[in-house]
Amino acid sequence: MILKMTRLLSVTFSLLFPLAIEARDAPLAHMPEKHFAFFESYCVDCHDDVNTEGSLDLYEVDFDLSTIQSAETWQKILNSINSGEMPPDNKKQPSDEDKTAFLEDLSQQLVEARALLSDTGGEITMRRLNRREYENTIYDLLGIRVNAEDLPDDQNPGGFDTAGGSLFFSSDQFEQYHKIAKRILEGAFVWGKAPDPKTTRVQIEEKINKRVTNQLAKLREAWDRAQAWRNSDGGDPTDFGFIDSDRVKFEEGNYKREAPGYEAYLKHPNTKSGGVLHTSFNGALVATPDLPGSLPSGHYKIRVKAAVLNDKIPYERRFIEYGNRVGGEVGGEINVQGCIHVTGTMEKPQVIEIPIFLRKDDSRFFGIRERQVNNRDFAREIFRQARAQDKPFPDPAMWVDWIEWEGPFLDEWPPKSQKAILEKSIDQKMDSAAARKVFENFATKAFRGRKPSPAYLDKLVVLFETELASNGKPVLSLIEPLAVILSSPSFLYLSEPYEKPWIENDKKPYPERVPLTKREFAIRLAYFLWSSPPDEELMEVAMSGDLKKPEVLRQQVDRMLDDPRSWEFITGFTHQWLHMERLDFFNYNHRLYPHFDESVKESARNEVFHTIQYILDERRPVGDLLNPDYLVVNDVLINYYRLKALRGGIEGTEFRKLAIPEDNPRGGLLGMAAILAMGSDGERTSPVERGAWIMRKLLHNPPPPAPPNVPQLSRNADKPISARQLLNLHNEEAQCAQCHKKIDPLGFGLEHFDAAGLWREKERAEVVQGRRVVKTQNHKIDDSGTLPDGTPFANFNQLRKEVGKREKDFAQGFTEHLIEYGLGRPFGFTDLNLADSIMAQARKEDYAMREFVHALAQSKAFRLK
Amino acid sequence: MNQNRRAFLRSSSAMIALPMMESFGFQRFAKAATPAASPKRMAFLAMGWGVTKESWYPDPKTTGTDYTLPPGLSPLERHQGDITVIQNLANQFNHEAHWGSTFYLTGANRYAEPGQSFHNSISVDQVAAEHFGLETRFTSIQLGCKGASGDGHGPGLSLSWDKRGKPIAGLDTPIAAFHRLFASDDTPLEQQQATLTKRRSILDTVMEDARSVSKGLSSNDVDKLDEYMQSIRDIEVRIAKEEDWLEVPKKQPSQELKEPNAKVQGFEEVKIMHDLMVAAMQVDASRVFTYRQPVHTFIQSLGATISGHNMSHYDQGARREVSEMRDQKNSELLARLIDKLKNSKEPDGSSLFDHVNLTFGSNIHSVHHLVNCPTVVTGGGAGFVHGRHLVMDDPKTPLCNLWLTQLRGLGIEAESHGDSNGTIDELFVA
Repeated sequence: MILKMTRLLSVTFSLLFPLAIEARDAPLAHMPEKHFAFFESYCVDCHDDVNTEGSLDLYEVDFDLSTIQSAETWQKILNSINSGEMPPDNKKQPSDEDKTAFLEDLSQQLVEARALLSDTGGEITMRRLNRREYENTIYDLLGIRVNAEDLPDDQNPGGFDTAGGSLFFSSDQFEQYHKIAKRILEGAFVWGKAPDPKTTRVQIEEKINKRVTNQLAKLREAWDRAQAWRNSDGGDPTDFGFIDSDRVKFEEGNYKREAPGYEAYLKHPNTKSGGVLHTSFNGALVATPDLPGSLPSGHYKIRVKAAVLNDKIPYERRFIEYGNRVGGEVGGEINVQGCIHVTGTMEKPQVIEIPIFLRKDDSRFFGIRERQVNNRDFAREIFRQARAQDKPFPDPAMWVDWIEWEGPFLDEWPPKSQKAILEKSIDQKMDSAAARKVFENFATKAFRGRKPSPAYLDKLVVLFETELASNGKPVLSLIEPLAVILSSPSFLYLSEPYEKPWIENDKKPYPERVPLTKREFAIRLAYFLWSSPPDEELMEVAMSGDLKKPEVLRQQVDRMLDDPRSWEFITGFTHQWLHMERLDFFNYNHRLYPHFDESVKESARNEVFHTIQYILDERRPVGDLLNPDYLVVNDVLINYYRLKALRGGIEGTEFRKLAIPEDNPRGGLLGMAAILAMGSDGERTSPVERGAWIMRKLLHNPPPPAPPNVPQLSRNADKPISARQLLNLHNEEAQCAQCHKKIDPLGFGLEHFDAAGLWREKERAEVVQGRRVVKTQNHKIDDSGTLPDGTPFANFNQLRKEVGKREKDFAQGFTEHLIEYGLGRPFGFTDLNLADSIMAQARKEDYAMREFVHALAQSKAFRLK
Repeated sequence: MNQNRRAFLRSSSAMIALPMMESFGFQRFAKAATPAASPKRMAFLAMGWGVTKESWYPDPKTTGTDYTLPPGLSPLERHQGDITVIQNLANQFNHEAHWGSTFYLTGANRYAEPGQSFHNSISVDQVAAEHFGLETRFTSIQLGCKGASGDGHGPGLSLSWDKRGKPIAGLDTPIAAFHRLFASDDTPLEQQQATLTKRRSILDTVMEDARSVSKGLSSNDVDKLDEYMQSIRDIEVRIAKEEDWLEVPKKQPSQELKEPNAKVQGFEEVKIMHDLMVAAMQVDASRVFTYRQPVHTFIQSLGATISGHNMSHYDQGARREVSEMRDQKNSELLARLIDKLKNSKEPDGSSLFDHVNLTFGSNIHSVHHLVNCPTVVTGGGAGFVHGRHLVMDDPKTPLCNLWLTQLRGLGIEAESHGDSNGTIDELFVA
C-alpha cells in the first residue's frame, strides 16, 4: 500500500515538475586510456616528444576530446589510420583486433565530441521561414498557392529545415523574396465579376485519329520517295528530297518500324468512337483535355470516360496516371500527380473525375496515359519487344471515349487575397491615409500579430505616393509597399525578442533563457504542428492566457493534430527524420524493376506518411512502426505487394488499414517499399545502407558517418557474386570491420527484398558492360545475421521481431528528432533531461506517438527562448 | 526577351565602336592609370563529384614536362604546354565525402566554431575580388547550375563565400547569367535613376523594420538578423556601383551574343556558360569568376540514364564508362575554353589567356575520397611556368597553398589563406 502511494505521488510529482527527473551530468567525449597501449605499440617510435613526425607528439595528446583542437588532432589520427596511411607499410602493423577496437572507440568518441562541441546550450536561434513554411504562410495570409522553387534550397547539412542556425540569408535572396512577393501580389486583386465555370469536352478520336493519320501519311510519303529513288537506278538522293543515301535508309527504317502500329491503331475496333491508350515508338499516348493557357488559378474538375478493353487485361494494367507534362517534349513522360484504377468495361464504361488545383504558374498541359515507368527509354523498349514478336505495337489495355475539364471553381469572390488587403471594395478611395491603414492592417497580419512601427509605416506610405505619382493607379500602387512588407524581417523571421527592456551597452546574452510571450508561444506551436501561422482560435486562446493551462494546451494540440494542416508536420518531419530524400537520389533501373514506376514510388512514400498519420490519429504506440499486425495501404501498393488475397475491399487510391498475418513480410518500416528502396542504389540492394539506417533510425545506435578516403570495394566488381560475398571484404580490413561488423549483418536480414522493395527468393547478380549483361548468377538468399548487441536472428521475421522488442530505443531516437524539429536546433546534451521527461510521460501512455508531441509541447523548454 | 530589347541589344553593340577597352571606365576611374596593362583575372571551374581516378591522373612517376596525358585529360593535348596538372593537394579539414565545393576555395573547418555545426570562411576568389573588383561593373561573377547540391558540390549557393563565411548566390542558368552580364535596360536614364531611388527606399524601409526587430534579441539572434542586414547593405553597395555605371551601357562583346535557349541543359549549358564567361572577360565586366558546373544533367545530356551520384560510385562496367565519358567531355570543354581565351585579343595584342589564372578541379578526388584533389591550372595571369606535371612531396599539401600562390602570382599580397602553410614556389620556376 505504502509502495503504491509513493508511486502515485511520484507520478503526480513528475507531472507537476516534468523536469524534476534526475538531472544528467554533462557528458564527456573521452578516449579510454587503455588505448595508449596502441600508441605505445605502434606509433610512439615516430610520434613522441623526440621524433615529433608530422608535428605530432602522442604523449601530449589530450584523451579528453573537449576542445576543437583535441577533436581535430584525433580526427587526423582517425583519418590516417582509416586510409591505411598509418602505421606506414614498413613499420609494425597492429593486429586486426587491436586496430578494430581502437578505431571503434575513436570513431564513436569523435561523433560524441562533435555533438558536444556544437551544442547550443539550449538556445533557440531566431529563424527565417523555410521554403515549406513560406509557401504555407503565404497561403494562410492570402489564399494563394505559390510555387517558391525560385527560393534557394534550405540545405541543412544532416539536420532539419527548421534549424534556425542553418537557414542562411544572402543579398540575392532578398531580391528573390521581393520578386516573388510582387508576383504574388500582382495576382491579388480582381475587378469585375467572378468567372463562371465552363465545361469543355474533347472527343479523343477527333484529335488522335487525325494526328495518327498525319503521322502515317508522312511516313508513307517518305517511304514512297525512298522507293522512287531506289527505282531510279543510281539517281541522286537529293533529287528525291534526301540529304544522302543514309537518310533514305533511316526513313525506310522509320516506316517499317512505326507504320504498322499507326495502321493497326486506325483499324482498331475501338478507335472509331474514342482513343486507345497505347505505346508507340515515341512513347506512351498522353490524352489531354486541352486546358487553355489563359485559365485562371482555381479548382478544376477533369473527367475521363474510360474502360478496360477486355476482361483478359491483367489487374496491374488497369490504371491511368495523370499529371503535367515535364518541361521537355519527350514523348509520354508526365509529372505524375496521381493514379486511378479503371473499373469500367466496354459494355459499361465509367466516368472518372479528377479534381485538380491550378496555381498561377502551373503548366496548363495536363494529360492522362496508361500507367508505366516514366521514361521514354522504357516505352521504346516495350515497343521494340512487341515489334520483335511481330505485333504492330504493344497490346493496349484501355479505352478513352472523351476527356473534359470544368472550372474554375473559386473558393470566394473577391478572392481572399483581396479581402486580406482591402477592407472594402476594390473601388474604395485610396489616398495616403487609407493606404497607411491598409499597410498597418496587412503588416500586423503578416507579422503574425506584431504591430509595425510608425516610422516603418511612414516609409511605406512614401513608397505608395511615389508609385502613385508615376502610374496614377491607386490600387496598383499598393503592390510595391505590400511586397516590401512580405520581404521584411518581421515577416520572414520567426523572431522571439525579450520584451523586458535591455540594459543599454550590455550586449551580453541573457543570464538565463527567457520565456516566450503568449503570442510567440502560439506561433512556435503552430509552426511546429502546421508549418503555418496560428489560426484565430489558437491566437485567441493564447492571448487569453489559457494556453498556460496544461489541459487547454492539450486540447489545442489535439485539435491541431486533427486538423488537415498537421499533414505538413507529418510529411515535413518524417521525410527528414527518416532521410527519405534518398528515395530520389537514384533512378531505379527499369529493366530490372519494371514495376517500380512513379505511382508505386509515390504510393510507397505516402505509405510511410499515412501510417504515421494513422498512428497519431488512433493514439497508437510508436512501436507500430516496428512490428505491427496491420498495414496502411492503397490499391497500388496492394497490387505491388501482391496482397490481393488480403485486400479486404480496399479499392482506390485512398490509404486504409489492412490487417495482415504475422508471417507476412509487410508491416512496419522494415517491410515498406520506400524504406527498402532507399537502401539500394537503384540497381542492387545495399545491405550497408539498410543496416546503417536500422542502426540510426530504429535502434538509436547510429554508426559514425562514412569516413572519407576508405578504399571502395571494387575488386570483385567483374564477378557476379552475391551482396553478402561482396561485403565479406569488409572483414579483411580492420578499418572497415570496426563499423561494418555491426552494420552489414543487419542489412543481410533484408536481403529477401530487392532494390525496389519486392520480395525475392533468389538474388540475381549481374556483370554489365555497356548495355550488355555479360555474366549472371543466381544466389540463394541467406537472411540470417546478428544485431549490434550480438543477438542472432535466423531470418527477416526474427529480425523484425527483435527490432520490435527494442521499442524503447526507437522511442528515444524518435524523441530526440522530434525535439530537434520542434525546437529548431540540433539535439544537444542540454536536451538529455528534456528527452528523459518526454520519454517518461510517453511511457505512461504506452509510448503513444501523440503523447510525445503533447509532452514536448507541454515541456518548459518549448516555452523558452 | 521581347523584340524591342533584342533590337536594342543589337543597336547598342553596334553603337560601341572601337576602341573597346580603352574607351570607358577610365574617365570615371582615374586611378586605373595604366591603361596599357591588361587586367589580371582569376577563374575557377568546379566539377562536383571528382574524376575517374584510374584514367584521369597522369602517372605520378612521370613528373616535369615529360609526361603523357591520360585518357581523361587527353582532349587537352593541344594545350599541354600551357597547363599544369598538380597532384597531392587536399583540404585537411573537409571530412564530408559528398561536399566537393563547399570548402573547395575556403579550406575552412566546418567545426571551427563552438556551438555551431557549420562554419565556413572566405573563398579565395572573394579575396581576389576585393582587389580586382573595384574597377569593373561586377565585383565578381558566380555561375552555377540547378540542383548543384546533388551534384557532389555540397552545401552552398555557389563556389563563393563572403568574408563572413556566408554563401554567395550564383547565376544558375545561362539565361540568368546572360541577363545579368549583357542585357541592357532600354528604359530612359531618368527612369532608371528613379528605379534605383526606389530600390534604395525599399531597402531603407526594410531596414527600419529590421531595427525594430533587433530590439531585445539575444546575441545569436543578432548574428542571424545581421545576415539579413548585411545582405541589405550588400545590395546598397551594389546599387551605389550600379549608379556609378548607370550612364555606361553594358558593353557587348565583338561577336554578338544571342539570348540562350531556356531549355538547354548539360553539355550545351556548360559551353554557353564558358562562352558567357569569355565574353564577360572581353568587355571587362568582371575579373573574378567561379563556376559550379553541372554533373547530373551533364551526363544525362551525354546519353547516360544513371544519376550523377550513381556514376560517382563507379566500379567496373556501365558506371565507369559514364564516369570516364564525363571526364573526357569536361576536358574537351576546358580545351575549347582555352582556345577561346587564347583567341581573344586584348588591345595590346596579348590574349585573355595571357592574363587569366584559371583552375579546374574539385575537392573530391573520386568516389568518397578527399585526398589528391584533381587540379589543372592554366593561363598566364599568375606567372606560372606551365607544361608540367607536379606531384607534391607531401601527399597532404594544403590546397590553400595553391590558392595563396595564385593570389601572390596575381600580385595580391595575401599573408595566408585558409589553412595554407606556404606557397608552391616551383610553379614559378621552370
